[in-house]
Amino acid sequence: MPTRKVARKNSVAGSAIGALLLCAASWCSATQAQTQTPASGAAAAATPLYKEFVDETGRTVRVPQPVQRIISLAPSLTETVYALGLQDRLVGDTDYCDFPPDAQKKTKVGGAINPSLEEIAALRPDLVLVIKSLNRPETVHSLDSLGIPSYATDPHTVNEIISSTRRLADVLGVPEAGASVGADLEHHLAELHQRLSGVSPSRVLFIVWSDPLISVGKGTFIADALKLAGATSIVDAAQDWPQMSLEEVVRLQPDFLVFADSHSDNGRTQFDLLAERPGWRGLEAVRNRRFAVISDAVNRPAPRIVTAIEDLARQLHPDAFAAHPDEEKEKKTPPPTQQHGQQFSIHIADSPVVDIVSLEACACAL
Amino acid sequence: MRPLTLGRLLGYCAILAAILFVVVVIALKLGAVPVSLYGLGRDLLRVLFRQTSQLSSEYQLIIFDIRLPRILLGIFVGASLAVAGASFQALLRNPLADPYVLGVASGAAVGAIIALIVEPHLALAPAVAALLTPVGAFLGAGLTVTAVYFLGLREGQIDSSTLLLAGIISASFLQAIIMFFMSTLTGGNYRGIAFWMMGELQTPPPHSVSLTLRVGFFLAAGIIYTTASDLNLLLAGEKEAMHLGVDVRRVRLVVYIAASLLTGLAVSVSGAIGYVGLLVPHVMRLIFGSDHRVLLPTTAFGGAIAVVVADTLARTVVSPAELPVGAMTAIAGAPLFLYLMRRRLA
Repeated sequence: MPTRKVARKNSVAGSAIGALLLCAASWCSATQAQTQTPASGAAAAATPLYKEFVDETGRTVRVPQPVQRIISLAPSLTETVYALGLQDRLVGDTDYCDFPPDAQKKTKVGGAINPSLEEIAALRPDLVLVIKSLNRPETVHSLDSLGIPSYATDPHTVNEIISSTRRLADVLGVPEAGASVGADLEHHLAELHQRLSGVSPSRVLFIVWSDPLISVGKGTFIADALKLAGATSIVDAAQDWPQMSLEEVVRLQPDFLVFADSHSDNGRTQFDLLAERPGWRGLEAVRNRRFAVISDAVNRPAPRIVTAIEDLARQLHPDAFAAHPDEEKEKKTPPPTQQHGQQFSIHIADSPVVDIVSLEACACAL
Repeated sequence: MRPLTLGRLLGYCAILAAILFVVVVIALKLGAVPVSLYGLGRDLLRVLFRQTSQLSSEYQLIIFDIRLPRILLGIFVGASLAVAGASFQALLRNPLADPYVLGVASGAAVGAIIALIVEPHLALAPAVAALLTPVGAFLGAGLTVTAVYFLGLREGQIDSSTLLLAGIISASFLQAIIMFFMSTLTGGNYRGIAFWMMGELQTPPPHSVSLTLRVGFFLAAGIIYTTASDLNLLLAGEKEAMHLGVDVRRVRLVVYIAASLLTGLAVSVSGAIGYVGLLVPHVMRLIFGSDHRVLLPTTAFGGAIAVVVADTLARTVVSPAELPVGAMTAIAGAPLFLYLMRRRLA
């Protein structure tokens, strides 16, 4: 009997069943020496090749060491992986992962809310990265039941985005990269804080979606980002994505409207469309054309958000940046970008928030 | 009409079971990850002969841990919905009746949302937390069914049109509650509800829930089947049925409870998958006639086939992303329903 088994095994390995099997088999033999795959997780219980981490939702996650194959289920996490210089270990991401542009070339596992479990499983990830605010708990449960480890982040402020990035760098085995990215971001924020000292914050309306009018609640990292840019959101809602009545906005009279768009032209068009609508003329900010358009990076809890914060601060408080003549030159250069890992550039992209909103609108239609 | 013999009934069921088997094999083969028919056949044979140790881990994971549980779930959800639909159509004597017509799905959705709201505050073990949503949905469905039952009583008896009105109004009320929750709640865990309300089979429920679904299906469908001859008479008219010795009141109550149980179980694991419970009984009636002794079992097979086909399409047409299976059944079901309706008029 054992000989027959062996014989059959050989015949299977030898026969060309399909390209997929061959690929899978060759990959298996290449990596088996290093680490157990999640699929055979039970067998690997005794091996010391795992490290335990507590993720940001309080779950204990057993992470294979070293983490060689990462899947990201959110655009922000994809950006973070790139910022940490680990793009070569990213084996899959979502349809919405469009930044940096190279991320679009990764194998897609579907959307953040409806990824394909079998596509994820077939990529044999060591670790799947999820973010609590975007991915569904059901996805995490399903991954658990398949024995695929997943690590969840849950940042609610810009500082938490930075600390979350550091922690993620530890989990992925590159603490130095996390430290340097974190220090760089903190340096930028400290410098900005210094410039803005003494400046009274502008009262702004951050427009996530204009029809219906949706802004950000006080508990979101976007509201926190506005604060760091020398602005306060006029919206004081506990919900994350409150739908606002125009009446309330007119009563509160924001100094500025803030749009987030990958394209500053689109933001301008959005403003012009709003200005035409009845009621919006009642806003002083509309009559005086006081608005700011920043990169949609502000919508993603990833290191690049600091760039968007600096950009907004420049638009809202140009004086604070002009006050130091010796730094006049810097003002003209484009906002600094993340240096670590991959050079980031301005990129045209659909905002993930818009996607969420339209999904929720779709739920409304139900 | 030829008299029904056991042989004929088993013959019909055997044909449908064979179709279901073929559909399942095709569904096992298709998906985001390509699987060769040869490899699939070999692995299925190995499982059959209990040589699971020889499975390639690739297939083991994709086929046996992801696709097969999902297909099994689809079979039982589809069968439950179709049997419940046929029962409600007979009970309410209304061709538009489906399992959700009495507000069960909306009640389940409210229950699921409440479960999602309380979950973070309970600090439960992950295994228990995974149970919370289906249990919440089932409780929501149960409460709704009970409320609609009492609202639908007229002089102490179930009255078809009162029940229908009570169900439809309760459903729209509960829909409004869902919208209220979704627009006022903080946090981002409710996004899944949109998919949930369209119905989906992607998230395999915990093992205990799947087991409950299977046992519950055989129990409730069996109970409904014992009333099959009475349902036939009931369709001729309530008075007529009563004169022929049918305990109309008891039959109604039994069918109401059993069909609601089927719907509640299905909806709590898969959300509201529309059209299956409405359309499959109609199609089966066209093919096999309206004798409930044949209709109920054939409908169960038909529902299973319909949901497995729809779910296979849902996970392949926009691969690697997925559509809610309810969107798939609606896209295919609505035109089919209109076609059947026009044909009947012609």
